[in-house]
Amino acid sequence: MTYILNRLLSVILTLFLITIVTFGVTNILPGDVAMMIMGTQSNPEALEGLRQSLGLNDPLIVQYGRWIGGMLTGDWGTSLIFKQPIAELLLQKAAASAVIVVMSMTIALALAVPLGVWAAVHRDKWQDTTSSTTALLGVSLPDFFWGIVMILVFARWLGWFPSSGFVDPAEDFLGTLRHAFLPSLALGLGLMAHLTRMTRSTMTGILNQEFIRVARAKGLSERTVIWRYALANAIGPVITIAGLQIGYLFGSIIVMEFLFSYTGMGWLTYQALLNRDLPLIQATVFVVAAVVMLTNLAVDLLYVAIDPRIRLG
Amino acid sequence: MRRFLTTKGIIGLTLLTIIALIAILGPLILSPDAATAMDMTARRSPPSWKHPLGTDQLGRDLLFRVILGARTSLEIAVSAVLMSIVLGLPLGLISGYFGGRTDNILMRLVDTLLAFPALLLALTISAVLGPNVQNTIIAIGIAFTPFLARIIRGEALRVAQMPYVEAARASGTTDVMIMVRHVLPNILPAVIVQGTISLAFAILAEAGLSFLGLGTQPPAASWGLMIQASRDQLDIAPWTALVPGLAVALTVLALNMVGDVLRDILDPRSK
Amino acid sequence: MKRRDFLRTSTAILGSGIFMGGLPTALFAQDTPVSGGTLIWGHSETTQNLDMHQTGTASSGRVLQNIHSSIVTVDANLKVIPGLAESFEVAPDGLTYTFKLRPNVKFHNGAVMTSADVKYSFERCKDPATGAVNFEVFNNVAAIETPDDLTVVIKMSAVNAPFLSRLAENGAGVIMPVDSGPTQGTNPMGAGPFKFVSYEVGTVVKMARHDDYWDGPAFLDAVEAREITEPTTRLTGLRTGELHMINDIPLDRVGEIEADAGLQVKKWFPLNFDFINMNHTYEPFKDKRVRVAFDMIIDKEALMQGALWGQGATTPSPSFPTDAAFNTDLVQRPQDIEGAKAMLAEAGYPEGSLNIVFKATTNYPYHIETAQILVEWFKAAGVNLTIEQLTWADWLSQCWVDKDYQMTMMNFFTLWESDFLYYSVWNSKGAFNYRGISDPIIDELTEKARITVDDAARADVYKAVQKQIFDEAHDVLLWFRNGTIGAQPSVMGLDTVVHPNGSNLNFHKVWLKA
Repeated sequence: MTYILNRLLSVILTLFLITIVTFGVTNILPGDVAMMIMGTQSNPEALEGLRQSLGLNDPLIVQYGRWIGGMLTGDWGTSLIFKQPIAELLLQKAAASAVIVVMSMTIALALAVPLGVWAAVHRDKWQDTTSSTTALLGVSLPDFFWGIVMILVFARWLGWFPSSGFVDPAEDFLGTLRHAFLPSLALGLGLMAHLTRMTRSTMTGILNQEFIRVARAKGLSERTVIWRYALANAIGPVITIAGLQIGYLFGSIIVMEFLFSYTGMGWLTYQALLNRDLPLIQATVFVVAAVVMLTNLAVDLLYVAIDPRIRLG
Repeated sequence: MRRFLTTKGIIGLTLLTIIALIAILGPLILSPDAATAMDMTARRSPPSWKHPLGTDQLGRDLLFRVILGARTSLEIAVSAVLMSIVLGLPLGLISGYFGGRTDNILMRLVDTLLAFPALLLALTISAVLGPNVQNTIIAIGIAFTPFLARIIRGEALRVAQMPYVEAARASGTTDVMIMVRHVLPNILPAVIVQGTISLAFAILAEAGLSFLGLGTQPPAASWGLMIQASRDQLDIAPWTALVPGLAVALTVLALNMVGDVLRDILDPRSK
Repeated sequence: MKRRDFLRTSTAILGSGIFMGGLPTALFAQDTPVSGGTLIWGHSETTQNLDMHQTGTASSGRVLQNIHSSIVTVDANLKVIPGLAESFEVAPDGLTYTFKLRPNVKFHNGAVMTSADVKYSFERCKDPATGAVNFEVFNNVAAIETPDDLTVVIKMSAVNAPFLSRLAENGAGVIMPVDSGPTQGTNPMGAGPFKFVSYEVGTVVKMARHDDYWDGPAFLDAVEAREITEPTTRLTGLRTGELHMINDIPLDRVGEIEADAGLQVKKWFPLNFDFINMNHTYEPFKDKRVRVAFDMIIDKEALMQGALWGQGATTPSPSFPTDAAFNTDLVQRPQDIEGAKAMLAEAGYPEGSLNIVFKATTNYPYHIETAQILVEWFKAAGVNLTIEQLTWADWLSQCWVDKDYQMTMMNFFTLWESDFLYYSVWNSKGAFNYRGISDPIIDELTEKARITVDDAARADVYKAVQKQIFDEAHDVLLWFRNGTIGAQPSVMGLDTVVHPNGSNLNFHKVWLKA
């Protein structure tokens, strides 16, 4: 219980630090909100007036306080480029990205678990080498390279999936899945390598354990032993590792959504950075960091639930 | 050394040596202009005797570009990883060795940075500093630091509880001396393993930054930049993507293989 | 410069016959248009602000111009012709403009347009608080009178010769219903052929036919503008049939798509002009000899072939090719590397002494290609050129506003109106003079043009401006670039899509063959 309490406290502290880093870093970005608003009509006096009225001349600490106050009271401001309330934008785009996150994780696990099990069962044989090489290939090329290949093969040549875009799930859920598939596949290939390796090493450990020997001695078929008994025990740690990959995934999503014109969080973050839309950058970066951190927390707690031996951070 | 002689180790090491030799010797043999010289009469020509790996959209020879690009890409990757080690080592070492409150504070900071996806961090830093080779190194170096610090801290935490460290403490050796003499040498294997694998990620990160226009600047040759330029012509001139793509893939593959073998040798617990 | 400022043209398309001839496409003349269907358009850029007054981007305007109608517009020769006003009249002293409005023009909300709407729209645009990009069009306007429902009289405090032409730019001349201002940003409303339906940021803008459009209802039931900024992805969408139509075919692929019998290509000229800029506040560029020498280093035709894959034509003047003010006496300087070297040495910059950073925006990939080719030529001339790629926002802030650059290049869209072009870009007080050019002769000429009411005399003034820009090599003019649209064979009426300004697209007369 103390562990969980401690963990929660440190989460609040980390969230606070995340806001400071987000605010600090975005404030040293070149470019200036007032200028982005006025664009090419900027002239020194008008800019100064606008800066004054936006409170950009206040001390940073005051601006930070105002920003945090707004975030806490649900007033996330308005995007400078899109002229839309940021909270609404984020909600809409986060939902789009969630589809990709879930789908790419599913694809990665669906590929990595069998490959990893196969390698563990045939340890140090050709199957092992094949499995690890296959997994490595996925991560040996930048994921946007896979993305381009996917567009060519599955959209252009085979015509099985749309090449780009996003469809509102409320309108056409199947359409959303079809649009999300290719970027998810490309991301899944990148995620696969690490998961395969984890599955292999976890499975190797379990296959050497007493209860497996007992199960084998009982005369259970090899298939049952591996897929029912061993895998059931290995899947927990593997899913944990998958959860920890979420940060890496969010980085890759930026490039992938840009390539596929899939308008989710990654796309929004990139647009915000590209256009120096400061309020939007701050909100997206904060949300991404917070989600990554909370996922890691959930994984940790899950781990404690699975493995009661861990009591200390 | 014998344990290096697995198939994986031999292939990985051979590949890596060849790539390193190309990166080092290439610029000594070829003039830097070889990578940027254009031939507008031979744009996007497929591999031929004149251009063994074909040419790109501006008629530049891809063989020369991929050779001279090796230098740029590896230079960025190596410098960035070294930078993250230089920054992450003291952070992780102090945190792990002292533990307690120091550890708590430092690791909160590291956790905070870890919550920002590395590419997002690198993207933002690049945007702040402006695009060029040096700033790309800084961006990737900073973005990778928290990972290194995390791993080093874990190792230092383990080593700090070893009997020989206890003994040194009891004999009144100063903390700094213990860290340098006893802790550092014992965590070095883990640092080397992680460094090797990070090199692979740094090469991919450079490619990602260049893809978004924030990495190496044209007309210089870097693998990431070459892949970026090829994305519009993959269907009509596939060699423009395959050449740098294969270079990246082979390097990353070789680094991962060597990293795996190193891990098996240096860090037996992970076996 | 499409994104931020240069969207300045009219909205309404007045029947056929006024469109610039592009290459004829395989149209089936015997087919009679049918109503129905939704056109899926792969749009090359992201729509930002939906408020027609506030939006400065050609990309947003390209969509919005289907929603709005303008009080006047231009024909293929860029002559101002009626729009929502069925006639207009300028008093001989140039101080009074009288517009007679079309009766029974209906807005999307069903209200009938009156002179009050015109007064409201113009005053909203003029009000600095609105933040309209074109507010200065109304600078000399002293009063807007509405003697009856269909008459608008505008009194000027001083002569402003280009006033009517500037109204033909959609930002300034569009008519919005009274009091619709506050909701224009979320629910744009006007009197154009299509009604706004919905907008999902970065994804799609949906529009539906306005049945009461004053020039007859459109054929299409609806238009979906899907935003796909990656050129190759957009091209793939067209080839797989996901999209009916795309604008901006990647330059290097135009030939290939033209050769594809299963697709139509519509090309037009010009889409925009490009020029290379030298910062006049940077020491070496204060010397005319350096600027001329730099001009001489560049082989414009080879550069055009290299960067545009031949999709354009070189030009010594930025005036619209069909404009009477185009100075046909000018000839671009041919490439002369040795001559340039000598001239640079004479100016005190011997070989190897100039290190110049060239800032190019990734927003236009062909700018990056241009810069890479330039590096080679400049190397031959003993000048070391380094490229720095900038995102659009960074280019705007560094080059456009802070003038923090040495060399750069830019392209301007739809600057067909001479005053707008030469005053804004080359007058020392011009809003788009980001090179810090201060040439008393150009200043005097551009001011003089503003009060020269006679068209022929004004054209001569602008010819002199072009000669001065060229002689002084203030910038290096490169070329006009082709515009392109690719479409499925089922899309009919492609010839009517492109507005005379070369940037705006209008779907009023487009229809889909079953």
